[in-house]
Amino acid sequence: MAEVNVRIKDIFAVFLKIGAFAFGGVYSMLSFFERELVQKRKWLSHEEFAESVVMGQLTPGAPIVNTGIFIGYTLNKLRGALATVVGQVLPSFVLVLIISFLYIKYKEIALLKAVLKGVGAAVVGLIASVVYNMARKLLKEYRSIVIAIVAFLCLAVFRLNPIGLIVAAGVAGLLMFRGDQKNGNS
Amino acid sequence: MEILRFFWTIFYINLFTIGGGYVMLPLLQREVVDHYHWLSNKEFIESIAIGQITPGPLTIMNVFIGYKIFGLWGALGAVICSYLPSVILVTIASHYYLKFKNSWIVKASFKGIRPAVIGLLAAVAITLGRASILDVPTGLIAAGSFAILVFTKVEPTFIILGAGVTGALIY
Repeated sequence: MAEVNVRIKDIFAVFLKIGAFAFGGVYSMLSFFERELVQKRKWLSHEEFAESVVMGQLTPGAPIVNTGIFIGYTLNKLRGALATVVGQVLPSFVLVLIISFLYIKYKEIALLKAVLKGVGAAVVGLIASVVYNMARKLLKEYRSIVIAIVAFLCLAVFRLNPIGLIVAAGVAGLLMFRGDQKNGNS
Repeated sequence: MEILRFFWTIFYINLFTIGGGYVMLPLLQREVVDHYHWLSNKEFIESIAIGQITPGPLTIMNVFIGYKIFGLWGALGAVICSYLPSVILVTIASHYYLKFKNSWIVKASFKGIRPAVIGLLAAVAITLGRASILDVPTGLIAAGSFAILVFTKVEPTFIILGAGVTGALIY
C-alpha cells in the first residue's frame, strides 16, 4: 500500500463522506473506515487497518482523527494526512455551527435524543461486525486467538487501561513471535 | 485576551491527552467550567450531547463551546486548535512508523497488538451494548445492524440513518 499514491481528491472525498455520515461516535467511524477503505477501495489490508487503529489510540488527540491522519500519511504523505483531517472534520464542523445557532435560539433537543437512542443501538451492531470481519481475517492461529481473548477479558471483566493493554500486547507479540520473524516468515 | 486563553486551553488539552474525547472531558470541564467559568455545568453537558449527536469525533464539541463563548471566531479557532496538535504529532509518528515498520521488533510487536485490538473492540461492543440496548426495539436494531453489515453489502450510512429514523418513530 505504501507505494500506491492515492490522489488527494479521492482521499478527501472518502473522508468527507465518512465525516458526514459516521454518526454515533468513534466506534461507528471505525466501521465506516473498514467498509470504505479496506473492503470497497482496498487501499488498506485488514492488518494495516488494525495498525491505524492502534496508531490513533497511542497518539494524543482525538483517536479517530489520528487514525485518519495515519492512513492519509501512508496513502500520500502530509497532503494525504491534511486531506483526511479536513474531510473528516468539515461536515461535523458545519453541522455543529448550525446546531449551536439553533440551540442557543430554541433550546429544543428531545427529537435529537430519540434519534440518538436508535443510533446508539445500531453502533453496537456496527462494532460487532468490525470485530467479526477482523477476527475472520486475522485470527488464524492459536497464539493470536489467545491474545485476542486475554485482551477482551482484561478490558471487559477487569477494566484495565486499554492503552496499557496495547503496550502489553506489543511486548507479548515481541516474545511470542520473535522466532518467526528472525527466521524470515512473517 | 480571553479568546487566546481559550484557544491555548483547547490546544494543550489536545496536545497532551491520549485516549480520546472521553478522557479529555474531565480536563476540559476543569478548565472551561471550574477554572475560567466560561460555561455552567449544564451548558457543558449540553456541549457533550451535541458532540455525540453530530457525526465525527466527540471533540467537535469544542466548536460548540467556542461558538457559545466567543461566536464564530471562537468556533473557527476551536476547530483548528483541536486538530492541529494531531496533524503535527501523528505525521511525525507515522513517518517513523513507516520507516521502521519492517524491522523484526516492530513486526513481532504488531503481531501481538493486532489480535489484541480485536479483543478490545469486542469488549467495547459489550460495554456500549449494556448502555444502549435497553429494551426489545434497541436489541433488534443492534442485531439487525450486525446482520445487515455482515451478510450484505449495504453501507453503514444507511444503517445509521435507518436506525435514527426508527428511533425517532419508536420513542
